[in-house]
Amino acid sequence: MTKYFQSFLVGLQSNLVYRWNFGVRSIFWCFHLVVVYILWGAAFAGNPTIGGFTFAQTLTYFVVVFVLQFFIGAFNEDYQISEDIRNGLINQFLLKPINYFAYRLSVFAAARVVSGAFGIMALLVALPFFRGYLDLPHEAWRFVLVVPAMALTAIIQFSIAYFFGLLAFWFLDIQGFVILSMAIENLLGGQIFPLDLVPHAVFNVVRFLPFFYQAYFPASIITGRQGYDFAVQGLMIQAFWAFALVCLAEFMWRRGLRHHTAAGG
Amino acid sequence: MEPLTRYLRIWLASARYSLTRATMFRGDLIIWSTVELLWISVNVSVIAVIYSHTRTVAGWTQYEMLMLVGTSMLIQRFLMGFFWSGIFEMGRNVRSGLFDFTLAQPGDPLFMASTRKLELDGLMNAFVAAGLVAYSAWKLGIHPGVGTVALYACMVGCGVVIHYSALVMAMSLAFWITSSQGVEGSYFTLMEFSRLPREAFSGIASVLFVWVLPVVVVSNGPARELLHGFEPLWVLGLAGATVAWFALAVTVFRCGLKRYSSASS
Repeated sequence: MTKYFQSFLVGLQSNLVYRWNFGVRSIFWCFHLVVVYILWGAAFAGNPTIGGFTFAQTLTYFVVVFVLQFFIGAFNEDYQISEDIRNGLINQFLLKPINYFAYRLSVFAAARVVSGAFGIMALLVALPFFRGYLDLPHEAWRFVLVVPAMALTAIIQFSIAYFFGLLAFWFLDIQGFVILSMAIENLLGGQIFPLDLVPHAVFNVVRFLPFFYQAYFPASIITGRQGYDFAVQGLMIQAFWAFALVCLAEFMWRRGLRHHTAAGG
Repeated sequence: MEPLTRYLRIWLASARYSLTRATMFRGDLIIWSTVELLWISVNVSVIAVIYSHTRTVAGWTQYEMLMLVGTSMLIQRFLMGFFWSGIFEMGRNVRSGLFDFTLAQPGDPLFMASTRKLELDGLMNAFVAAGLVAYSAWKLGIHPGVGTVALYACMVGCGVVIHYSALVMAMSLAFWITSSQGVEGSYFTLMEFSRLPREAFSGIASVLFVWVLPVVVVSNGPARELLHGFEPLWVLGLAGATVAWFALAVTVFRCGLKRYSSASS
C-alpha cells in the first residue's frame, strides 16, 4: 500500500503544478451554471414545477452534479493512459512490482483532491448569487448513502476512462472514442438534464446502464429526487457495475499487453 | 483580383490535401462524424425533454427553439469544418516553435494558419444542422423565398466570421502565455449561450452576452430572420459586430505575432 500512497503524494504534487488549468476550468464551470440558470429559469417561468420539482430544486441538482464532477469525475485520465502506451512509458511499469490500475487510481485520487478543492472554491464564489435557489433535503440517510454512492461513482468513472485509455494498445488515436463516450456519458449520466424528466419507460432502461451511476445517481440521492428504496436498490446495481467495469479493465489490460511491443533500451 | 485568385488557389490546394487525408483515414472520418452527430443529438434531446414539460421557453415554441439550436449548430459546424484544426494547431505551434513553418509560407500568416486543414466530419454534419433548420421551418409552416434564404445564409456567414474571430483571439493568447491548452474550452462555454433565445437574458447577463459579447446575436439574428422576416436592426447589428470582431481579431493576432520569437516564444 505504501507505494500507492507515495504515488498519490507524487500525483498530488504534479497536479498542483496544473492548478491554473483547474482554476480556469472552475471559471468555465461558473459560466456553465449561468447557462443552466438562464435556460431552466426561462423554462420554469409560468411553471411552478417541472417533473414535480421546483426551479430551486432543479438548480440545486445541477450545482450538486457539477461539484461532484470536480470530486469524482474522470477528466483526462484516458488521455494520460493512452499517452503512456503511445510513448512507451508503460514499459517501466511492466518491469516493476506495481499494478498499473492501482497506480493510475492513486494518481486519479490525487487529481480529484486538487480539482475538488478548486470545485469548492468555485462554489464559494458562485454561492452568493445562487444561495437563494439552493434547496437540499435534510434527511440524514441521504448524507450517509451518498458516501458509498460517490465512492462507487468514482470507480465507475475511472474504470471507463481506463478502458478508453487502454484502447491505445489497438488504435493510434483514441480521442474520437473519448469524445464519443463523453457525449453518451454526459447525456445518460444526467449532466445535461435530470434523468427523471425523461419518459418513465426510458428512465427504467437507463437506470440499468453504468452511465446512470456516473452523476445522476449520487446527485439524485443528495438532492432528494429519489427515495430511500430507490437509493438502496441503486447502490446494489452500482456496486455490480463497479465490479464488472474493474474486471473489464483488467481483461482489457491483459489483452492489450499481448498486442504491446516494447522497443528500445 | 490577383491576390484573391492566389489565395483561392492556395485554399483549394489545402482542401484537396484534406480530402486526400480524409480518404486515407476513413475510420477516423466515420468516428468523428459520429461524434459530431451525437453532440447534435444531445442538444436536440435537451429541447425534447424541456418541451415535454413546458409549452414555451422565453416565448419560443419547441420548433422555434429547434431552429435556433439548428442555426447555432450550423455556424459551429462550419467553423469546425473550415477553421478549427488550423487555429487549434496554431496555439500549440506557437508554443513549440513549429509556427515558423507557417511564417515561411507564401501568404498572410493568419490565412495560412487558419485554412491549413478542412475537417470533412464537421462539414458533413453541417448538412444535419441545416436539415434541423429546414425541418423546423416545415413544422412551423414557414416557406421562405430565395431572398430570405440568401439573407439567412449571409447572416450565418457573419456568425461564422464572429466565431472565427473569437477563436483566433482566444488562441492568440498563446503568444503571451506559456500554454494555450484548455483555452479552447472558453470558446465552447461561450457557444452554449448561443443556443439560448435572446428574450431569456435580462440584467447583467443581457449586457454581457447580448451586447458586449455577440454570442447570442450570432444565432438569434439568422433564426429570427427566418421566423419573423427582415428586421433591419438585427441585420445591421450583426453586420457591424462582424466587422468589429474581425478587425479586433486581426489586430490581436498581429500584436501577438510581434512577440513571437520562434521556439522560445
